Amino acid sequence: MSEKAERDKKAIATFYAELNRFGQNGEYERAIKTSNKILNLAPQEFLAFHYKVVCLIELGKFDEAIRLLNGNAQFDEQLVFERAYCLYRANKHEEALKTIEKIENLDLRSKELRAQILYRLEKYDDAATLYREIVKNTDDDYEDERHTNLSAVMVYLEDEDTKDRIE
Amino acid sequence: LPPAMEPIPAKPLFYDLALNFVELPDLTEKLEGGQPKQKGAGISGFVKGLWGWGKK
Repeated sequence: MSEKAERDKKAIATFYAELNRFGQNGEYERAIKTSNKILNLAPQEFLAFHYKVVCLIELGKFDEAIRLLNGNAQFDEQLVFERAYCLYRANKHEEALKTIEKIENLDLRSKELRAQILYRLEKYDDAATLYREIVKNTDDDYEDERHTNLSAVMVYLEDEDTKDRIE
Repeated sequence: LPPAMEPIPAKPLFYDLALNFVELPDLTEKLEGGQPKQKGAGISGFVKGLWGWGKK
C-alpha cells in the first residue's frame, strides 16, 4: 500500500469515529461535513453515503437528498426505502409509489411507507387493506398511531360510501 | 356579501410512522470495537513479516 493510501485509511477510520459521535448526538450538520470528508477520500464508502442521506432526511432536506441519490446511481438499490421516503416528503407521491413498488417482498417499514403513500394518493381502499395487514402482523410501540392512521383512512372510505349512496 | 360559512369535516389526524424507520446505519464495523478480526490479520501479518525478513 502506498504511503498516501495508508494515510487515507487512517484518516477515514478517524472520520468514522467522529461520524458515529455526531450521529449519536444528533449533530446532523456536522455529521454531513464528516461524511463529505470520507467521501472525498473514498467515493465508494457506502456507509458514509448512507449516513449522509439519513442526516439530510433528519434535517428535512428532502430535495437535496433526492439530488444526492440521483447523482450516485451505484448506491441506488441499497437505499430504495430512503429514496421513496424522500419523494413522499417532497410531495412526489406517484414517483414515491413507483419507487417503493420496486422492492420485492416489502419489509415492514416499506409497507408502512407504502400505506402512507397510498393515503396521500387517496387510494383509501388499498391503504385500508394494507394497514389491516400491518396491524395484524406487528407488535411495536406504534400500535396506537397506526390505529389512528387506519381511522383516518376509514373516514375517507365512509365518505366515499356516502357519496356512492347519494349518487 | 361574503358567502355564508359552512362547516366542513375536520382533517383526520395522520402520523408519519415511516420516519421512525429511517435510521442511521450501524458503524460498528468501521470503529475500534469492530476490529478483533483485524488483530488476527495483524498477527499473521507479523508472522509473514518474519518469513519475509528471513528472505531478505
